[in-house]
Parts: sequence; structure tokens; C-alpha cells
Amino acid sequence: MKLKQTLSTIAAFIIDLVRKNPVIIILVALFLLFSILYSEQFISPINLTATLRQFVTLMLFATGPSIIMIIGSLDLSFVGIWMLGSTLLWVLMPYLGLVSILVIPLLGVTTGFILGIIHTKGKIPSFILTLSVLVTYWGVTSMLTKGHPNVVRGFSFITARLIPRIPTPFILSIPIIAVAVFIVTKTKFGTYLCAIGSNEEGARLAGIPVDWYKIIAFTVSGAFSGVGSMILFQHLGGSTPVVFNMNDLVRPLVAIILGGTPMVGGSGGPQRTILGVITFSILYRGLYLSPLIPQVIDLVVGIVLIIAIVLGSRSIQLKGVDIK
Amino acid sequence: MNQAGSSNQNYNQTLLEVRHVTKTFGSMKALDDVSIIVKRNEVIGVVGENGAGKTTLMKTLVGIHEPETGEWISNNKKVSFPKGPREAAQRGISIVYQEKGVIPSLQVYQFLFLGHENQGFCSPFGLKKKSMIREARKILAEFDIKCEETAYMFELPLATQKMIEIAKAVLSIRLEQNIQSDDSIIVLDEPTAPLTIEQRQELLKEICRMKKNTSFIFVTHIMQEVMEHMDRVYVLRDGKLVKHYNMTNEKVTEEDLTEVIIGHELLRTQGEAIQEASLFGTTVLSVKELSKKGAFYNITFTLNKGECIGIFGPEGSGKSEVIKALAGIIAYDSGSLTIGGLKAKPRDSAHIRLSNGVGYFSGNTEIELLHDWPIRKNISLLNIEKITTKYPKLLSFRKERQLAQHITKEIRIKTPSINTIVSTLSGGNKQKVTVGKWVEKSPKVLLLEDPTKGIDVGSRADIYETILEMKKKGTSMILVGDDPKEYITLCDRIILMKKGVIQEIISRTKFMEVVKL
Repeated sequence: MKLKQTLSTIAAFIIDLVRKNPVIIILVALFLLFSILYSEQFISPINLTATLRQFVTLMLFATGPSIIMIIGSLDLSFVGIWMLGSTLLWVLMPYLGLVSILVIPLLGVTTGFILGIIHTKGKIPSFILTLSVLVTYWGVTSMLTKGHPNVVRGFSFITARLIPRIPTPFILSIPIIAVAVFIVTKTKFGTYLCAIGSNEEGARLAGIPVDWYKIIAFTVSGAFSGVGSMILFQHLGGSTPVVFNMNDLVRPLVAIILGGTPMVGGSGGPQRTILGVITFSILYRGLYLSPLIPQVIDLVVGIVLIIAIVLGSRSIQLKGVDIK
Repeated sequence: MNQAGSSNQNYNQTLLEVRHVTKTFGSMKALDDVSIIVKRNEVIGVVGENGAGKTTLMKTLVGIHEPETGEWISNNKKVSFPKGPREAAQRGISIVYQEKGVIPSLQVYQFLFLGHENQGFCSPFGLKKKSMIREARKILAEFDIKCEETAYMFELPLATQKMIEIAKAVLSIRLEQNIQSDDSIIVLDEPTAPLTIEQRQELLKEICRMKKNTSFIFVTHIMQEVMEHMDRVYVLRDGKLVKHYNMTNEKVTEEDLTEVIIGHELLRTQGEAIQEASLFGTTVLSVKELSKKGAFYNITFTLNKGECIGIFGPEGSGKSEVIKALAGIIAYDSGSLTIGGLKAKPRDSAHIRLSNGVGYFSGNTEIELLHDWPIRKNISLLNIEKITTKYPKLLSFRKERQLAQHITKEIRIKTPSINTIVSTLSGGNKQKVTVGKWVEKSPKVLLLEDPTKGIDVGSRADIYETILEMKKKGTSMILVGDDPKEYITLCDRIILMKKGVIQEIISRTKFMEVVKL
């Protein structure tokens, strides 16, 4: 009798979870599909490690922007923070030693704060503003590195293996993700961001200093991008980035939208992005194991982005929210 | 019960007094020397036309707007106006907004505490969700609101959302005021506008019940509510306080009140403007059994050349939906619409209707005008084919200038030049630019929705004159508005609508009897 009750509560919990996060269906479907198609490779420990590595990259990139997407804005500067941050680390390394890695979060916070101020006080759309910052940072990176990859030694402990099969960056990223989820789901700040994204005028009328919270949101986003980039720097090779790769920009955004944070804002956040990133990582690894040529993978990613956006906006329209 | 006893003793105690409040937006005087008093256990009505300054006054009371001049009297001392809703709540005033107050994607308990989490619900481990939900449950029970504390706002019906907003307002005062007192004032800015009649009565009953503990300032359009439930009434017109009634002592009729709201001056100018209807010829537009679920049902009428028909009814009667369906802004479900002998499709969009000769003119300059464009561009955009040269098809700026100059002169737009950016004009002149572009366009049928929304008396008369001139030249019109006098000025026949159904089609003289003007 008691068992039955427990089972039914668990079932109710799962149904509720799936109702709130429909991406779980896709996740499970993809997992089953690839497990059946490529059973040997897909469930192998090597693939698990690779999937986790993929997860770390996407999640650390996507954490900051998914906070910004709650207020209905976009933050694309995260790739720029990673590129320029890594380069500044290389520049400062001979002078400051290991401490110089702190330049990356410092750059993130500063960038976010300035972006927030320009976005709110100058009333500049966040998309074009953060995109231009990204391009600027890329330009500075190319200028400083002159197009050569420069290896920075001394941070290999970030990727040093602690637990077999589990990449250390994954372990390191867990507290970062946890803090982000906590901030968005449990604090006043997170509630206010949802309120601003859902109805900015209403939030203002409720006495929330909207501009100030937007600035804080951008600063927090920059901070997460910065802290994440400290790990990503070593995770993605431990050298200064040479070229700007569109995938670094697009894939985290795909993961955020796939996770169910609507682009018009109001709900979602890092907690949903986790699911989006897992789904995307599984999809990516599955495609990687398939006989498809790599170029086709980009095509599939594009299609997934389009479908995710269409489905996402439909579900919002059903809730009676106007698409701006 | 002790509290009720003590509040009875000082029944007449003044809770709020503001004097000589003035507020301007750009060149518009939104409030001009307005003074009001709110006493304990009162329901105060604030009435007036659209744009009379009601909402502005309410927003100054809760610190959203800061007035240029004005005094706030508290305990016989002058104090400054509150700087924001939180400070207002500390003084015991909170507001329920007309619209945009609800935040759809928040949960009920989150919404109730929004902006006041600091009052004991923050901890280093995040918000105290459990105690918030507990408090939310208490207040929902107190107001007899039936909904889950964790439901999302967008899932709830409109009336429930309104009640939750009122609960939020009461809660915010309780949270911000350190001492538990019943000196609270809740401002309700047209709370009944989105509600059905039953929901309206429910809400008003609730408010009368709560009057024992709270005073209310009630902004409304609906005369019946004023007559039945208010203790005192302030009437605003064009930003000025024109009349103050004490409903318990004075005998005030609905007609008196309506007259004061609209103002006598206007009535006289309108009397002159009334002209006998021209002889009607051919039918230009006919509507047969037009229905849209939830909005209007079986609408049937015909519109003749040079005629103006008004659709009159209370807010929510479906009049606005009918005119929008005719304009192609919303689709209708069934029935037929014939324009100049051609049958229209239910889902035709507005530009197709316009090419068939049906233009839609709204008094909302926000949607009619491109605010950072000059006057001449705003006028020529709608009449782009008139300024296009034949071959090759190019825009002629000479023609555009001529056109704009002609219109500006004809309808007396007060502007330094036709190159003036529209956003720098005053409200009345902005409205004239929108009228001007339609005068030049002169469609076969012009649909007017609130054509003089929120503008001053002088500009209003000018606009009526221009519209009547167009009518004389053969443009047929359909009018939807709020003001009965507007119907009398412009319309030949008036359709009375209620709950989405036509009640009666009457002549202008009959209409004057009905609204008693």
C-alpha cells in the first residue's frame, strides 16, 4: 500500500517535471535512439567522457547568457570574454604568475557591468551591443596574439584527472552551475528578473528599479562567463584562441533555447539550460558517431535551432503573452 | 473588533490630503492645481473623460510620477511626495493598476510579495519560500480568493487576477508599515474595465465589505458604479478639478454628473456643428449577421453614402471589436460584409480593406503616427500613390511638400513648418496630423475609433469640423467612442449595443433623448 503511494507520488513528480520541461521527452528519445543505433559506441565509457566534456563546454558558455535571456535580452559577449580573457592571461602570465588567471573573471564582471550600463542608460538593443563587444574583443585578441596560438603553461591542474572517466572541469563546473541555479530560482534577484522579463512595465509599477536590476543581471552574466572561462581556457586547449568559431557562439544559444528559456524572457534560466545542454550534447555525440560527414552536423544543429525557436514561441503564445 | 471601534470614533479623520498638484508632460498639462482629501472608511470616486488626468493623479499619489508643484499634508505638516511605490506603501497608500499590473509568468505567491521581499522574507539561503506561501495562503483566504498559491498568474481568470492585485496592494501596506494599523488607502484605477458585469458586481460587493478597514480611491468610467457605491466624487476635466460631490448629502443625478464630466462649453459648440443629414443615396457598406465568438453576434446594418453611423454601448459591449472586424484588424467568424458591392473575406487584412475603400482611423496617435518622422512624411505615407510620378514610378518630393502644405493649412495644424518632427507637437496637433492624412486619402468608408481620444476641447472642435466636412463630400463613416456628445455631433443614426448584440438602431434625435442631452 505504502509502496503504491510512493510510486504514484514519484509518477506525479515525473509527469509534472516533463510537463514543465518538454525537452526531457526529446532527451530520452534521442538517448534511446542512439543507444539502439550505435549501442556499442554510444554507451561506452569513452563516449561518456566525451559527452561530459561537451557538456562542460556548452554549460559554462551558456550559464551567463541564460540569465540574461530571462529578462528578454541577449548576451553574446561570452565568447569574447573567453577569447580576450585567455589572451590577457597570456600577456600577464610572465609578470604576475598564476594569479593572473583572475584577469578572466575580472574582465567578465567589468564587461558585464559596462554592457548593462550602456544597454539601460543608452537604450541600445542588447543583441547588437553585445555582438559588437564580441567582435571588438575578437579584434583585440587577434591584434595581441598576431594570429598565433600561444600556449600558457601552469594551469594543467584544471584538467588533471581526479576521478577516472570523469573530466575534472566537469567537477569544477558543478558549483558554478549550482550557484547560478540558486541565484535564479531561490533569490529575490531571480524573481525580479522573471518579473522584468514577463512584464517590464508592471515590474516598474511594482516599485522594482528595473534598470538597476538589468545592470546587475548583465554583471552577473559577465561574472559567470568570466569564471566559466577560467576553466574553459584550460579545458579547450590551454592556449590563446586564434580564430573566432561561430559554433562557440551558436551552440550555447541553441542549448538555452532547447532547454526552454523563451527568447522573450519571463521564465527559465540555467536550471532549464542544464537539460538543454544535456540534450544537445547527446544529439551532438550521436551525430558524431553516425556515418554523417561533419558538415552535415552543422546543418542539423541549424535545423534544431529553428525547430526549438518555433516550438518555444508557440508555447509562449499559448500562455497569452504577446511576442514583441 | 477593537480596531473597528476605534476607527468609528474618528470616522472623519483625514488620511490623505494633497493640495495644488500640477504635472505637465511636454507641453501638455496633465494636472492643473488639483487638491483632494481622503478620509477614513470612504470610497472616493474619481471620474472624468479619457485624458482628463485621472491616472496621472493616481500615479503621483503612489510616487510613479513626481509632480512639479503640490503639497502633501500629513498631520498638518507639509511633506514631500513619495519617491516610489514602496515609500507610498509606508505611508499607507497602494495602487491597483488599470492594466499592465499583472506579471503573467510569476507564481501567485511570488507576485503577492513582489517588491516587498525585504520585509522578512529574505535570508542568506534564498527567499523563504515556505513562509511566503504560508502568508500568501492566509491573505488569499482572507479575501476569499480561490486559487493555488503556486499557480501561475497567466493561468488564472481575469477577475481572480484583479482580486489578487487588490490583495497584493493591501499586503504591501501591511508589510511596509511597521505598526499594524487600518489607515490604509487602496487606489483602484478602473479595476472593473476588463470584467464582466457579474464579476464587476462581485468586486464592488467585496470592496464595500472591505470599506470597514480600508479607504478606497476608485477611478472609473461607469456611472452606475459611481452612483451606487461612492461616498464622494471628484470630477476631473482636462487636468482640472471641476467639481466635487458628496454623494451621501447631495442629491446628484447621473445626468448632472455626465454633464459635468463632459463640460457645458463643448455642448454649445456642438449644437452649432449639428447639421442635417445630407440626402442618402447608394449603400456603400452592408453587414449581415456578422458574428465573432465572445465578442459580437448577428450584427446587421447598412451604411449609405455620406452617412455616419455610431455604435454606442458600454465598455465591453463589443463595439470596438465590430469596428476592428470591419477594418480587418481582427477576423470575424461568420456573416457577410459587402463593401461597394464586393463581398469581403473574413480574414482580409487591413491593407486589403483599405484598397477596397475602408479606412480605419484611431484616436490613438501611438499607432497612427510615426513619431520621429516629419509631418509631411506622415501625411504622404498613407497617400504614397498621390506623390508618385507616373513614369518612371518615383517619389516626387515637390508633390509631397505641396500636399502637406495644403493639408496643414486646411485643417489648421499649428506648426512652424511641414518638416517639424511629429513627436514635438502637442497632443491636439498630433491628432490633427492623423486626421489630415485621412482627409487627403478620403476613403469611401472611414471607420473612426475614439477619434478625439485625450485631446483638448479646442482641437476637438477643429477635428469635428474637418470630419463633418469630409462627410459632406460623401465619405461614409462609422464611429465608436465613449462620449455621447461625439455621437450627437457626428452621427445620423446610432446603433445601441449591449453584450455583443444590437439592441436598437435609432435616429440622432431619439439618441439625444436616450442619453438625455
